[in-house]
This record gives sequence, structure tokens and C-alpha cells, in this order.
Amino acid sequence: MIHVLLADDHAIVLEGLRALLDGESDITVAAWTTDGTEVVKLVEQHKPDVVVLDLELTSIKGTEVIAALRDRTAPPKVLVLTAYNDGESLRSALDAGADGLALKTESPQQTLTAIRQVHAGQLVFPQAARRWIDGRAGAGAPGELTPREREVWALVANGLTNPQIAERLGLSDNTVKFHVQHLFSKLGVKNRTEAALKYAHGR
Amino acid sequence: MDQRDADTRAASRRLLATSERELQRIVLDMHDGPVQDIFAALSQLQVLERALAADAAAEQRVRQAMRLLERALGEIRNFIGAFRPPGFERRALGEIIEGLAVQHETLTDQAVEFELPPDLGDCALPTKIAIYRILQEGLANGHRHSGAARQRVTVERRGQAIALTVSDDGRGFDPQRVLASEEDVGVEGGHFGLRGIQDRVSMLGGTFALESAPGRGTSLTVTLPAE
Repeated sequence: MIHVLLADDHAIVLEGLRALLDGESDITVAAWTTDGTEVVKLVEQHKPDVVVLDLELTSIKGTEVIAALRDRTAPPKVLVLTAYNDGESLRSALDAGADGLALKTESPQQTLTAIRQVHAGQLVFPQAARRWIDGRAGAGAPGELTPREREVWALVANGLTNPQIAERLGLSDNTVKFHVQHLFSKLGVKNRTEAALKYAHGR
Repeated sequence: MDQRDADTRAASRRLLATSERELQRIVLDMHDGPVQDIFAALSQLQVLERALAADAAAEQRVRQAMRLLERALGEIRNFIGAFRPPGFERRALGEIIEGLAVQHETLTDQAVEFELPPDLGDCALPTKIAIYRILQEGLANGHRHSGAARQRVTVERRGQAIALTVSDDGRGFDPQRVLASEEDVGVEGGHFGLRGIQDRVSMLGGTFALESAPGRGTSLTVTLPAE
């Protein structure tokens, strides 16, 4: 059974999605809220497998909510639900560390499918966004790194392990693992040694 | 440049930024209203469709309603995709170009190769807006008319200017004829055409060059003042 938490400013969307998800035998809606600032608390209470989150929340930035969830020891999968399928939304969702993106301008059936996919561990993004995931475009171009990834890179280059980096930066191991994965793909390197070499060679 | 030219140019720059703000407002209204309503209605109809599984005629009608709503959503998706301004104030020029290329690939399944120097840096807001809108138009034109499998985008600094080139090896066309036929044509499907590109360039005091011939591909280059 997939336990889902729904967070969306729009009560009618929540009502519609709840009705839809309740009809699925493998999905149960554990909680829902129209207040983005409640999400982290609700996740603590209900420990859902998947959080379906509107990226355009009014009370708090959707990306901040994702970052807070990522810092938990056992972060839920996060499926961003947005009306915008432009580069801006994709980039924000990926940078924040979401597991997938579903569109409000497509059939809600797609959202259902995406919930199952992120729960199964897939990254659900359009093919074109792979260049950001694989780091093809960003390969060797550290200009694309986030400030956090730069911090992590410096520590990796100094030979620190993930738990050591986590301790140093006050993050969870999982979050560091996530940053390291992104860092490697953006740098186009396969391992820590290659990342360190690249760092040594003038970044 | 005399004082009057300078005033006109400053006014043009303000106008470009204002029209982006207007677009942003319209897109937000679409987002907050129709998108949420239609998405919610579709969710409810999907529940209803299942409940009506025993009644073929009723189920058929519900499906029909869902198809209509999905079509409406699709049109809104295209509209929002074309008009929503990216984070012009938050994102540097390179990021915005990259985002647009990815968006174009997502919408069209057409590959976009791009070359962005790592030290491209940022530029003034009106130039950034113009580069974005011109690139958007150039990619859309190439997709609709060129028949090429891939398009190429290069952006670079040339002294005090930013140069953008959009090219393809598609079927090409006769620029004089197309420009002449666009003379009196308004906006078509949200696209402002080559004439619109020229207008944007001249408002900012840049240069415009178009090389194309039937069977010879197309290359569009504009340069705009970086500051």
C-alpha cells in the first residue's frame, strides 16, 4: 500500500485527487493540507511514502518544503505537481531534489501513474530534462553547481566520507548522498577520485 | 546617438519589461483559475467514469466530457508554455537559455544542441528578455518549417554585445519573400515571426542577420548590447 500525503493550495484540487486516489486499491491518502507550512509536521506524524506537492504554494516556497523533507533521515519520495512544464519548473524541482514532476495541465491519470513510479524509485521527469540529471550539458562546467554542491565537492576532494560530510554540514546522510549523486552527474565523473581530480585541476 | 534617440530607446526598454510583466499576470490568472478547476473536474469525472462502468451509454458521455476538458487543458498548457516568463530576475542568461532549450525539446521531441561559454555571465534585463523571446521564436520557427531533426544554439559575448545564433540544416527558405509577406501580418498563434524579431532587435539597438536559401538550411544571428 502506498501512503500518500497531498499538499496543494487549492482545496478543489485536493478534493478531486483524494476522491481519485481513494478509488485505487494500492494507494491510500494518509493526510492532506492546503497549508504548505504544515507539510513537514504532517510528514512526521503520518510518515507517508510519497508526498504530492504543489510547487506554487503561497505560504512557503515548494522548493523549501522539499529541502526540509530531504533533510529527514528517511525522506519520503516527493512528486511535484505543477501547471508549468517549462525549463524553470523542471530545474527548480530537480535542484530541490524532487523525485518526479506531474502536470496539472495533463490528465490526473498521469499523476496517479507518476505516484506509483516515484514510489518504485524511478525519477519521473521528461526525457529532455535528462541532460540535467545525467549532467551531459553540465559535464565539466562547474558553473552549474548549486552552492551546496560546491561545498560538498570541496569536502569530497578533501577525502571526507558521506557521514563525515553530513556531520560537517549538519545534514542527513541521505541528503549528502543525494548531493553527491547530483554533483557526480553534473561533473560527468564516476567516483570520488575523479571528482577530487577535477577539483584539483582548477575546478 | 542624440537625446531623442536615447529617450526612445529607454522607452522601448521599459516597454519590453512591462509587456513581460503583463504576460506574467495573465499566465498567473490562467494558473490560479482554469487550470485548477479543470484538473479538479477531471479527477472527479474519472471517479464517476469508474462508478458508471455498468452503464455503457453514461460512461461514454463522461469519457467524452473528459476528452473535451483534456483538450482545453492541453491548449492552456501550450499557452502557458509559450508565454510564462522564466525567472528573468533570478536566473542568469545561460540558465535561461538552457531552460528554454530543454522546454523546447520536451514540447517538440526535437533535439537542441547548445553551446554556452562558462564565462558568459549575465546581461541587462531588456537584453535578456529579448534574447529569450527571439530564441523561443527561432526554435519554434525552425521546428515548424525547417524539417530539420536538430537545431543548434550558440550564445557568446562579442565585446560589449551578446550574440545569439539559432541554426538548422533544414529545408531553408527565401528570407526576402517571407519578410515581405509578414509585413502586414499580426501575431499568429502567439508567434511574432521574423518581423517581430527584427522589431525587438531594433528597439534595443542591435543587429539582425538572416542567412537562408531553399535547401540550404537557416542561420539567424542577432547581437544586442549586453548592458
